[in-house]
Amino acid sequence: MLYTDPRSVIRLDGGSLVRVFVNCGLREQQQPLHKRIRRLERLVWWIMLDKARKIWKLLEGQRLRYAGATAALIVASCFLYLAPLVPQITIDGVIARDPERASPFVKRMVELLGGQSFVADNLWLPCVLILGITGIAGLFTYFRGRLSAKACETIIRDVRDRVYDQLQHLSCSYFDKTETGDLIQRCTSDVDTMRNFLSMQIVEIGRAMVMLLVPIPLMLAIDVPMTIVSVLLIPIVSGFSFVFFIKVKHAFKESDEAEGAMTTVVQENLTGIRVVRAFARQEYECEKFEQKADAHRRLDYRLYYILAWFWSSSDLLCFTQRGLVVGAGAYWLATGRLQVGEYFYFITAVNMFIWPVRMMGRILTDLGKALVAFDRLNEILDAPRETMPTPDETPEVIQGEIEFANVTFSHVTSKEPVLHDISFRVEQGKTLALVGQSGSGKSTIVNLLLRFYDYQHGSIRLDGRELKHIDRQFIRSQSSVVMQEPFLYSKTLRENLVIGRPAAGEDEMMEATAVAAVHESIIDFDDGYDTMVGERGVMLSGGQRQRVALARALLADPAVLILDDALSAVDAETEDMILTALRTRRGRHTTIVIAHRLSTLLHADEILVLHHGRVVQRGTHGQLLGQKGLYRRLWHIQTSSSAASDDAIVPGTTTSQAAENAPA
Amino acid sequence: MSDSQSTNTMRDEEYRGRLDLKLWGRIFGHTRPYLKQVIGLGGSGILLAGVETVTPSLVGLVIDEASMNGMTGRLVTYGVLYAAMLLFMCYLIWYFIVMAGQVVTGVGFDLRRKGFERLQELSFSYYDRHSVGWLVSRLTSDCSKLSSLMPWFCLDICWGLSLLCGITTAMLFRNWQLALMVLAIVPPLCIVTAFFQMRLLGTSRNMRRTNSMITSSFNEAIMGIRTTKALVREEANLDEFQVLSTKMHDYSFRNALHSAAYLPMVITLGSLGVGLALWRGGFLYDSAAAARTLGVSDAEGTLTLGTLIAFMQYAALFYMPIQELAQRFTDVQNAQAAAERVQSLLDTVPEIQDTPEVLAAIASSNGNGDSSMPLDGGDEVIKSIEFRNVSFWYKEGESVLDNFNFRVHAGQTIALVGATGGGKSTIVSLAARFYEPCSGEVLISGVDYRERSLHWLQSNLGVVLQAPHLFSGTIRDNIRYGRLEATDAQVEEAARMVNAHEFIMEMDEGYGSEVGEGGTLLSTGQRQLVSLARAVLADPQIFIMDEATSSVDTETERLIQSAIEAVLCGRISFVIAHRLSTIQRADVILVIEAGRITEQGSHEELMNKRGRYYTLYTRQFSREREASVLESSENGRSA
Repeated sequence: MLYTDPRSVIRLDGGSLVRVFVNCGLREQQQPLHKRIRRLERLVWWIMLDKARKIWKLLEGQRLRYAGATAALIVASCFLYLAPLVPQITIDGVIARDPERASPFVKRMVELLGGQSFVADNLWLPCVLILGITGIAGLFTYFRGRLSAKACETIIRDVRDRVYDQLQHLSCSYFDKTETGDLIQRCTSDVDTMRNFLSMQIVEIGRAMVMLLVPIPLMLAIDVPMTIVSVLLIPIVSGFSFVFFIKVKHAFKESDEAEGAMTTVVQENLTGIRVVRAFARQEYECEKFEQKADAHRRLDYRLYYILAWFWSSSDLLCFTQRGLVVGAGAYWLATGRLQVGEYFYFITAVNMFIWPVRMMGRILTDLGKALVAFDRLNEILDAPRETMPTPDETPEVIQGEIEFANVTFSHVTSKEPVLHDISFRVEQGKTLALVGQSGSGKSTIVNLLLRFYDYQHGSIRLDGRELKHIDRQFIRSQSSVVMQEPFLYSKTLRENLVIGRPAAGEDEMMEATAVAAVHESIIDFDDGYDTMVGERGVMLSGGQRQRVALARALLADPAVLILDDALSAVDAETEDMILTALRTRRGRHTTIVIAHRLSTLLHADEILVLHHGRVVQRGTHGQLLGQKGLYRRLWHIQTSSSAASDDAIVPGTTTSQAAENAPA
Repeated sequence: MSDSQSTNTMRDEEYRGRLDLKLWGRIFGHTRPYLKQVIGLGGSGILLAGVETVTPSLVGLVIDEASMNGMTGRLVTYGVLYAAMLLFMCYLIWYFIVMAGQVVTGVGFDLRRKGFERLQELSFSYYDRHSVGWLVSRLTSDCSKLSSLMPWFCLDICWGLSLLCGITTAMLFRNWQLALMVLAIVPPLCIVTAFFQMRLLGTSRNMRRTNSMITSSFNEAIMGIRTTKALVREEANLDEFQVLSTKMHDYSFRNALHSAAYLPMVITLGSLGVGLALWRGGFLYDSAAAARTLGVSDAEGTLTLGTLIAFMQYAALFYMPIQELAQRFTDVQNAQAAAERVQSLLDTVPEIQDTPEVLAAIASSNGNGDSSMPLDGGDEVIKSIEFRNVSFWYKEGESVLDNFNFRVHAGQTIALVGATGGGKSTIVSLAARFYEPCSGEVLISGVDYRERSLHWLQSNLGVVLQAPHLFSGTIRDNIRYGRLEATDAQVEEAARMVNAHEFIMEMDEGYGSEVGEGGTLLSTGQRQLVSLARAVLADPQIFIMDEATSSVDTETERLIQSAIEAVLCGRISFVIAHRLSTIQRADVILVIEAGRITEQGSHEELMNKRGRYYTLYTRQFSREREASVLESSENGRSA
């Protein structure tokens, strides 16, 4: 199977890839070895090609810039290697006063400059030449940096924007099954790794290649044996570092893991600090931490130790290469085969290309990290978006007539349906109330109506149109929902309020906040409506957040208004005020209310009592009170208690107005 | 610095100011235990610079020898010398990386350990102001940043300065005229370096700030996904995000431009040095050669080709130490915020700690006995706890408790009821000495608890919180946390006592089952039972329970209820109560409102009063009945 379409393997991690190899080997033992190897080769090529293709695609739009950067790099390197030629020529052709021994090339160059005696009298000329050549090299180096930076930053901005856009368009079920922390990490540190790859690694690899390739013809032109000596150890240097970093990969990983374990201990200790104190276990915890921190120290030190060996031995190789040039050059210099200037040139050139070559191994191993990050990002980018079918006919405006007919729904992750065979109908401007314990499916009805999830069986109609055929965004733009734990953006209160209708005037906003009974609380803040919400501003209490969200929903003046346990953190008295105010708006919205306090639902046109995803009772408050059943029992319990209480303070779940405003 | 004053550092994540030498002095003070290694680093830096200074001269000598005298024995000597120097250099590189490794890992470990120990002592008011995530990154990323900065700083400063000195001296010795010529490039090198490093410092700061804004944007996009969808804010959010990502693009691009411009500039300046050496050196060589032909040996003019080449190599080398030095100072600037945060954590004095008198008492009584418990010589048995005129506030002028008085005796259970934010948790925290009263006193067996050992009191506490916290590890480990020396049998006994044994045995690994980080592999109810068992095993004299309101299924709730009764028996217990059964059987019920006791007495007394308690009770009563109705209808349906 895996053989036939190698691309299916690509998503597997390294470990499983190895398993695949092994399995292939076992399963197809009868095949001759060379055939198997060829297949494996093809597999590896597929993977590499696929990666290359993906990276190539990533560079889209910036390829020209990268090409420009490469060209600038080549030009810059040429000039950079030209620079030491100037002292070489000057020394051999002019200063050495031994023009006969100089190579024909040097002689011609000196002639070009105006002859030996002319240059000797005007030694500022080579000085200016060196400066000019290095300056040009510098200029092109700058161009290269500029172009590749522009290309890289543009791509990264694009990637960030794409990821952000994608996140917002993924379906709700995607977020149900992924962890927030993991997602955030992909969006931030994986993007950073990619950026590193694009801005540093690609460029460095290119630089090492160019730096190595450009001087070779020049060196060959000067002296062939000397050139061979100059690059003798290059394959060993680059091979050594590459093999080395592959070999010690596990040491890096172990050190990372030890750090992770240590961080976990700190995290757990600080989260459970009350428990630690309550049992006076500080010493025990310190020991536990020290143990982990010490393990981290040891592994980290081992890493340093390994790296010490690596850098010193690879430096030894590089120095040996340089030493070979110095030594062989000295010998040939002594025998007269080489000129002083030429000798100088080789020493300088080796110094220029040996260090980038040494870095290659490190970069190539880091490449693996970048590819992993790239894959992780692609997992987000390739995830299916919420489908947005082009609607057959988009209605101008929604009136707000809702009908559920035999709707059954279950989440992708489980077979057990959350809703069974739900049917109801709400006329435009009427109010439907949903009652039931948590998990009975109330919120799911709301989620289906807003097309957060798509229903599998039955039909939902909005103004007589099948919901599946109406654009999601259109439905949402025509309805407003207030959730039990509403989310406010870290903006000012005003900005949060007018999100639903940016064109709303000041007085309309005030009216909405008045109905939601939050106006007074807002003007109590130092900055009033311009108070920042969230981390960088004030932290609102649950009740305040709910009321701001309600005002936001009301300001939007939607056709469908959904209150999903939206006043649970608001005290009874304030809730009454809000409900009374809302009643004056009756008929403006089709309303769906979910609430625990039955008094909230008194005036609903129809009440559905849900239990385990089924409707067990339905009717108006009066009708339900007349029936035997859950509703009546709940009602009696609640009324008998509220008779005894005024604006009572309830322990636990319900936060009172007093508590909200009390200093924490 | 008291731990209540360090709040401002929390907001000011990015320190923008001058280099704080005093602060850095203290940070570098942490390397004192590694003085040997630091000296080794400095020494190898100097030696390395020495070798690097000598090498171009040696090459110069080789050139002169080879070009003038041909293949000689001296050339071989030079070769051997060169090889020896290279080997020595490689050894130095190995040596300083190992030394740096010892300092980095050692100082990092020390800083973390000191920070962790300090965090164990700091009072809860510190934790109220700093989030766990913030504290964790102080101990991880900040400590790493600082510890990995210091050895390289020492090394590069020594190396850079001595290389500069070495090159300068070597050149001046060989030929002072030529040397002055080449040295002319140093001032512009310094100016260019300073200019660009300042720019880079600014742009990288902007980048970091924008980057953290991008992170919180992503966070918001994920956390608020449903709201965004419901409000159809996708486009608007993306627009706002694009402003940020463009800003990031601009800063990063500018940063890259600065580095792209910097290096070519200094290299070009270096080449100017090379050119100058060639110009002036060529002239000098020329006149020297002319003098030689004339038979005049003039000391002023002795310049060989080898010297000339050595000078050119020196000139090309000059920018390196200057660049490195500048880089190290930039690192220090960039790490200043981290240094400040770590040092302020280490400097924070715990608000609550044993007084010198208590410490002396602990020392003397521990000298006599071999108890592992730091006893302070006082009464070990707790007979009563009394709050006398206790007032408490987190913020001056916003009193949470006001002149609070009450007394509880051994064996009594106190139920605290009232609205959230009324001060119930504060009372409990004060009793546990997690906080101390701002005025008034808390007496244990008639003695102010500030005159007793903190460790003694807290060893006698058993605490079960609303959201019980477990540590990753097995169930057995977690129960044993209550008494570390308990045997497996004792652990099991404690579990049986709180009815946890059955569910534990049903798990695959029994007591050896992993609970996961924070106990996530167990349900809330199971976590509560384990934490109860943990408290039982500790056998504390004072028991504190913040009763859970989270809904657990009836079966678990029944188990927890009877477990609690077993635990409370025979101790001083404070219960923040919601369940009627707990409230009813309490010896004293305190109704707490706005930091005062509004009602106090037994259940019957308070019910007869028909006051606040009556209201609360009936409300809770209906709540529990409501729950039972919903439950029973569920049972009826499934039956």
